[in-house]
Amino acid sequence: MIVAQLLVNGLALGAAYALVALGFVLVLNATGAVNFAQGDLVMAGGFLAVALAGSLPVPGIVLLPLVMGLMALLGLAVSLLAYLPLRNRPPVSVFISTIAVGIILQNGVILLFGPEPKAAPALFGATTVSLGGLVIPEQSIAVIAVAGLLILGQHWLFARTQLGRRLRATAQDPEMARACGIPVTAMIALTFAVGAALAGAAGLLLSNQFFVTPSSGAGLILKAYIAVTIGGWGSVAGAVTGALLIAAFEVVASATVSYSAATAALYLAVLVILTFRPQGLFGEAAGARA
Amino acid sequence: MRDRVPWASSWTGIAGGATPALVLAGALVAAHAVLFADPYGLRVLTVAGVYALAVIGYQMIFGKAGALSLAQGTFHGLGAYATGIVGSQLGYGFAVTFPVSILVPTVLALVIAAPVLRLESHYFALATLGIGQVALLGAVEWQGVTGGSNGIAGVAAIELFGWRPGRGLPLALFVWALVAAGAVIAWRYGRGWRRLAFPLMRDNPAAARALGIDIDRLRLETFALSAAYAGAAGALAAHIQRVVSPEVLEFPVMVTILTMAVIGGRGRVGGAIAGALLLTQLPEWFRGWERGYLLLYGVVLLAVVVAAPWGLVGALERARRRWLPERPRPLPVPVDPGPRPTPPFRGPMLYVAGLSKSFGGVRAVDGVSLWIDRGEILGVIGPNGSGKTTLINLMTSLEKPDGGKLYVRGVEMTGMPTHRIARGGVARGFQMASLPPDGDALDAVAAGRAMIDKDPSSAAAHALHFLTLTGAADLARTPCSVLPPGSRRRVELARALARQPGALLLDEPAAGLTEAEQADLAGQIRSAAASGVAVLIVEHNMPFLLPLADRIICLDEGRIIAEGTPDAIRRDPAVMAAYLGPSHPEPAHPGPA
Repeated sequence: MIVAQLLVNGLALGAAYALVALGFVLVLNATGAVNFAQGDLVMAGGFLAVALAGSLPVPGIVLLPLVMGLMALLGLAVSLLAYLPLRNRPPVSVFISTIAVGIILQNGVILLFGPEPKAAPALFGATTVSLGGLVIPEQSIAVIAVAGLLILGQHWLFARTQLGRRLRATAQDPEMARACGIPVTAMIALTFAVGAALAGAAGLLLSNQFFVTPSSGAGLILKAYIAVTIGGWGSVAGAVTGALLIAAFEVVASATVSYSAATAALYLAVLVILTFRPQGLFGEAAGARA
Repeated sequence: MRDRVPWASSWTGIAGGATPALVLAGALVAAHAVLFADPYGLRVLTVAGVYALAVIGYQMIFGKAGALSLAQGTFHGLGAYATGIVGSQLGYGFAVTFPVSILVPTVLALVIAAPVLRLESHYFALATLGIGQVALLGAVEWQGVTGGSNGIAGVAAIELFGWRPGRGLPLALFVWALVAAGAVIAWRYGRGWRRLAFPLMRDNPAAARALGIDIDRLRLETFALSAAYAGAAGALAAHIQRVVSPEVLEFPVMVTILTMAVIGGRGRVGGAIAGALLLTQLPEWFRGWERGYLLLYGVVLLAVVVAAPWGLVGALERARRRWLPERPRPLPVPVDPGPRPTPPFRGPMLYVAGLSKSFGGVRAVDGVSLWIDRGEILGVIGPNGSGKTTLINLMTSLEKPDGGKLYVRGVEMTGMPTHRIARGGVARGFQMASLPPDGDALDAVAAGRAMIDKDPSSAAAHALHFLTLTGAADLARTPCSVLPPGSRRRVELARALARQPGALLLDEPAAGLTEAEQADLAGQIRSAAASGVAVLIVEHNMPFLLPLADRIICLDEGRIIAEGTPDAIRRDPAVMAAYLGPSHPEPAHPGPA
């Protein structure tokens, strides 16, 4: 019984983490750049949901498209201000510029909302469902469903549409894509927008059950990073798998020891992994551009 | 504060002309502190000194070694906790707590160095961030020792053998005296051969290794040193704040240090001090903003990275160069270093046996054996993807071979790190001549002597000798960034020869050169061989290679398919088949022009 309960919790958490990691890996593939602000974008999405819920008393599912749309605009702004001017500079410049974006988001949120944790509205309702003697929060099921749909949607966008083909071509070889007449700069900006929209969705999904604080970003970027490292640098499917693994680890470890111990153990485990396999558990999918 | 003036002038003198503005600014700040500052202003100045110390340390790993560490805030916090715990809980004085505070983060840096320092830039950044998160969790959770979220109160004032720098001016002077000492140590550390090694190591680690520079050791040194500085700063911060709480381990400290380093000028000791002074003042000008100053830091950091990555010190230097054009630095007198003593050995200069390497199932190099004698020129040809560059990379350990042996001057060097093989007598050139981004041609060649002459002025004198040998002496003061391809090759060759190697491995040296330049290069390679160097040349350009080489090896799919004199190779059916497909009657390249 407890195992089933943990499974549902782990799956809900993992689904949300997967959105974070997905946004991170899409930008990584498109630009070869590591977006340190991804965790803070998730946090910003959470606070955006909180703010919108303050003036629009509707369920989270109605806010979701709004949050994703606004976050996509923020993603565009990030690419314009912090990535595109630096695309021909050493990678460390983009690390620093996205760290700066994270600082701006985090402290901007503190100025607007204060440092306390906040909760976004639930997707549908805050009730629980009984399923064969199992009491499951409705929110958990909704998170799994919504995140699953978004992941499928992202997959469909990239695999099945003309736009997706252009996005993938840009990620694979920007020079070649440009030679084929693909507007590479616009595609990169669009990838940032998709990444930020996914981060916003993750923020909304996570900040109901787990709350959101302005300093959540560092933990989230680490988890996205770990997911991508475990799953194979640059692999989209690997990022999702890695996110689910991390969530499973966290849920199980939190249930047996404490949350802090679980987090510490996770980071230390990754250090150990990197010691023995610097290329990640499943090898590198992306080239050495980053 | 006044200690800074002689230091500043001597430092800037080395870094390419004095920056009077910086010295003036330092003097103004000092005068302000002594004459006009109120107690609050002195406190801000003291805090600026503490940060300056942490940032000077950070400039080593981040600025000089080029690794984006996100653990500097953590090291700073650990220093503060060490002072809090050893001083407040155990009752020791400054004479004990200060060294302990330096030692604790340094030891941690050395311990975590094994897993993290090998990592590529982004992995390294995130790994160091993860370590910081673990330390923060530890400080909050381990309540018995750290006091949990409340931290440790009642940290004593600094007291050293009965002397107690009082609040205000004495404390500010004490902190800034430590800053001055730290700055001098950092400046001395970054001088000499390290001044030549660091830019190359940041820009092209492989090239630096191939010059015999032990990058891993430099990374370790700079990482440990940066931790030591951060620990010292953390200890001082604990004494000034009188409390230690988990805040000292939180990310804003790291953000502040990073912003100071970038805004002041990456890699510059003067930049660290300028950044610390400016950014501790900034929140004072925006008082009533609470933590809003961090928002401001973020905006300024983004703006500087995008618009002025050279930072404050760099901007001052640019302005000075614009208004007061630099007088060219005088050239040293070229000195022939004379032959390097090498232990006697028998057999070939370079010998490899059964070298193999696979990449994901593809056998890039498959059991290659070859030798090169003293004074011999061996050409290696083969179609694209036949494993030529991989072969050179294996022979210099830039790739680890799956199997096989390597002997240099009769000594087995299989599996040794690149810099050891380089020091053992192997020099190489790269497909893209890899010269440091800043600095002139003489600096580039002097970097080749960095591991041989320990003193920079003799390195420069010897470097000029080798530039003269390759006919590039007139380029000595030309910045590498503006050298045309032919000149870049000459400078790179001069750098390789400056190492006085036993074996010289060249990867497509003639690529992009005019015919006149090729003929010139061929002459220089011949004279290097005549002086006893064993030369291996990977080349596509047959008109260049065939008349030059004594012997040629042809690779295909990682294996040697033919070996012989240039004449024999030109007529070899296997070679023709590899280049043209089995049925073609004519050779791909018509042979010597």
